[in-house]
Amino acid sequence: MENAIVMKNVCKDFKVLNRHEGLKGSIRDLFSRDYKTISAVKDVSLEIKKGEVIGYLGPNGAGKSTTIKMMTGVLEPTSGEIIVNGLVPYKERTKNSENIGVVFGQRSQLWWSLPLIESFKLLRDIYMVPKKEYEDMLELYSSLVDLEPILHKPVRQMSLGQRTLSDILAAFLHNPDIVFLDEPTIGLDVSMKAKIRSLILGLNSQKNTTVILTTHDMGDVDALCRRIVIIDKGTKIYDNDIEHLKSYFGSYRTLHLRMADDTWYDEVIDESKQDIMEIIMTKQKEQKIKDIKLEEISTEEVIKKIYEGSAAS
Amino acid sequence: MNPKRLIALTRAGIMESLQFRLGTAVTLFANLIYLVLVYYLWKAIYDSAGTDTVNGMTFTDTMIYLILATALFNFLEMFVVWDMSRSIQSGKIVLDLLKPMNFRRYTFWSYSGSHVVLFALSFLPTFIVVMIVTHGAIHMGINLIWFIIATVLALIVNFNIEMIVATLCLYTESTWGINIVKETIVLLLSGASIPIAFFPERARDIVEYLPFRAIYDVPLTVLLQKGGSDELSGLLPLLGLQAVWAISLFAIGTAFWNYSVRKITVNGG
Repeated sequence: MENAIVMKNVCKDFKVLNRHEGLKGSIRDLFSRDYKTISAVKDVSLEIKKGEVIGYLGPNGAGKSTTIKMMTGVLEPTSGEIIVNGLVPYKERTKNSENIGVVFGQRSQLWWSLPLIESFKLLRDIYMVPKKEYEDMLELYSSLVDLEPILHKPVRQMSLGQRTLSDILAAFLHNPDIVFLDEPTIGLDVSMKAKIRSLILGLNSQKNTTVILTTHDMGDVDALCRRIVIIDKGTKIYDNDIEHLKSYFGSYRTLHLRMADDTWYDEVIDESKQDIMEIIMTKQKEQKIKDIKLEEISTEEVIKKIYEGSAAS
Repeated sequence: MNPKRLIALTRAGIMESLQFRLGTAVTLFANLIYLVLVYYLWKAIYDSAGTDTVNGMTFTDTMIYLILATALFNFLEMFVVWDMSRSIQSGKIVLDLLKPMNFRRYTFWSYSGSHVVLFALSFLPTFIVVMIVTHGAIHMGINLIWFIIATVLALIVNFNIEMIVATLCLYTESTWGINIVKETIVLLLSGASIPIAFFPERARDIVEYLPFRAIYDVPLTVLLQKGGSDELSGLLPLLGLQAVWAISLFAIGTAFWNYSVRKITVNGG
């Protein structure tokens, strides 16, 4: 399959002024040439195939947004190579924009005071979408979501959920090859999250759009992504299928044992190192076991372990 | 450049401005108060001067000039600097940078709609009222066409000045001060608050060649057929001045913007 995005050894450094404390420090900062370099992204290589839905994860400040900004062409990498749809994004930002769509969780690209349909028409003209394609797209939209309540509503009167939904529709309107969704479900209620997930899946399968998704909600990841990439402190630490994730960092399961005196004994077990049966046997010798429960560890817990683990190292 | 995009942006701008009916009404009311103030201020000046004409302008001349300057100001005023600094702080500028259009062109045409609305709702009514009240102090002829051309050039000069200041906002985190300085300079040196004829001679010699004059003074001079602009020999230098500034400010603005955006993409914003 064709690659939508290729990143080779991409690094991004930022120069920041060393700020000093207090009033005296602030005055000194006015004239200071004392910069320090911060590496936001370190040597990240990545290949994303056309039509994939990728979960791009990492704790806050890991370098996710920086990577996305480099892929969209708003930032230029300090070193390394990025090719998006065969273009170098920062060199041909305007041309690259024709083939990508973006949704940044808490900002909207819609025209605030106008009804949604007007924003759609405007985007249609700005992206020069042919009439037929535009109409087909609106038809597809109405088959996926209930457009009626939002289409003629001014964006400023929308709820956060409706607005996010509208922003996602707007990002897909010109049928881009790649859509970047930066925390699209932030602040939404459970049912809206479900709606948005099924919309993204629907659009991805209908239009074969590549979707790069950053999120802190593991529900999004479980529902949408087959492959995930985890980045921490600018370095890629995981890049594989979501099924592998659980075994990659040890195949963890939680064992719950109810003992004769009705107390619960819980233990998180790494099956690659410990044998569950052995633990049960040892326990049984101490006391009679009344009940046994074995739980799969959730994606959320694995991710938490990874974030915490890499923070400690 | 695709005209469909530009028309679409203008259309949306018109619809957006029409949403703020109350805002437009309040602006018109505020202008009325301002004009009453201007009226009494200049009346006092003329009364104490003891002559009918000061610096070659009669009281009526001055009033027509200042009223039309205010109307023109309402119509040409742009908020590029405010809007841009806000979108830089909120990070929304990234979304605008990711439109498949040249950013400066996109910005300019996003404002064109509001100019159309303000021209119809603010400038035209004022102009008609002045015309009726002064019974023919404004000549109705070819000068109207020259005035429209001069106004379009004024719009371009104004946009480019705004855009250059807005680009400065990419570097500084506080915009407020810079913007106030810009506004004061433009209002004073463009003839919007005091007719340039009233400037001391030395100052006038300099101000005559600055770009600010191209925004308010030149269109009004052309409209009122002052300074020999009723003849081509007087008119062309004025329009020429505007054109030269429009082109050079456009070139400076484009170069400055492209340089700055590159810097931002290197260092991060």
